[in-house]
Amino acid sequence: MANSTQPTPRPASKTPSHGAPKSRRTLFLVLGSAALVVALGVVAVVATKSDSNSTEEVTSGASIESGNVTVTGAALVRVPEGPATDPAIGAKAPTLTGLGFDGSAISITPGGLPTIVMFVAHWCSHCQREVPQVVKWLAAGMADGVDMKGVATSTDAKLPNYPPSSWLAGEGFDVPTLVDSTESTAASAYGLDAFPYFVALDAKGNVAKRMSGELTEAQFTDLVAAAKA
Amino acid sequence: MGFPRRFRATSHRCLTDCSCTSGHTWDGKHRIVNIDTVTLFFALLAIALQVALVVVGVGFAASRTFRATVIASIGPLALWAGAAIAMVCTFGSLYLSEVAKFTPCKFCWYQRIAMYPAALLLVMAAFRRDGAVRRFVAPLALVGALISSYHVLIERFPNLESGSCDPDLPCSLVWFEKFGYVTIPVMALTGFVGVIVAMLIHRAWDRSTSTTANPFSVPTLS
Repeated sequence: MANSTQPTPRPASKTPSHGAPKSRRTLFLVLGSAALVVALGVVAVVATKSDSNSTEEVTSGASIESGNVTVTGAALVRVPEGPATDPAIGAKAPTLTGLGFDGSAISITPGGLPTIVMFVAHWCSHCQREVPQVVKWLAAGMADGVDMKGVATSTDAKLPNYPPSSWLAGEGFDVPTLVDSTESTAASAYGLDAFPYFVALDAKGNVAKRMSGELTEAQFTDLVAAAKA
Repeated sequence: MGFPRRFRATSHRCLTDCSCTSGHTWDGKHRIVNIDTVTLFFALLAIALQVALVVVGVGFAASRTFRATVIASIGPLALWAGAAIAMVCTFGSLYLSEVAKFTPCKFCWYQRIAMYPAALLLVMAAFRRDGAVRRFVAPLALVGALISSYHVLIERFPNLESGSCDPDLPCSLVWFEKFGYVTIPVMALTGFVGVIVAMLIHRAWDRSTSTTANPFSVPTLS
């Protein structure tokens, strides 16, 4: 059947096609870009081949980065948002029992000495900045008379600055440190809301103060004073 | 227990029976996919694009001949170049979240909102040789670049976001860093700037050829 009407023309492009680009120049650009991409891929493969082997060795060390934690006692409520009064103040803190990085048993047992428990996550930039400060304050004797304990929590091998054992050792953080479970049992039991997280316990084992975030020297002094009060 | 959702969900996704190290994922068959290789590849691509952008920028400012050459050479391919950049960024971000399991933060999502539609629009426009897409893609890329810039700032200065780390993984978290400065938002920023520059080059080429080849054509983008 004869087509009596002209085919509908394609709607004109808003931009004229300007004819075909110069084929040689186009070919050169396309092939050059493709070759560059392939070359970069080869570089990436070659550069990371040796890294892969060394990474396996790092993680074959004996350090324990996470482990089971036993909680004895009632968990603390999570720190409330905003300026609200912390409902956990005066509450008896639970006992945490687990392992340290070297596999030795570590227990955070409220009562006896005033205690400050510091929760850190290896990937948290604020923790990375706070730990050296705390090391400095401890060396200066600002926490004398207080039992300082650490908890390495929220550990994840995919995240930066792993493993926490190497990071804390490198910072000179020689505080006895409990490794939290993969479910962050210890952090959950102490009501953590953000990193770094500090819980001051008085001599009776009750919560005296809870703070999160990077502390100033004055805030750390207040924390120590609250634990001793 | 009122504990952050992602606190439980993301921790040790792959530590069940392998010594999963940073840079590897466990796929159930003990076949190791090296994330380090892929992230390094993305970083190298980003650096290559950065070098190209600097060369184009300096050349444009310094030499009129260079400018004309770039416009004449890259102009016809600029839509495809923009589409390629946006598609690499799109599939790269999907790889990082779905394969490498790097959980996107809120600013990552905002940048995705800008990049994903731009990729789709650019591919369709490149096939159709439709330069009008610049009107839609350029604003998307500009907004994306601004968000990426702020994200880069937060990575460098975490206190801009907050004084503490959200257990749900804050945007200040640097998942990886190559060559001392190439992070995920830096790569995204490079991609957005690349798309913007591609649109500008296409616009310049469009104008030059429109006026010379077809004096009756209507300019597409002022």
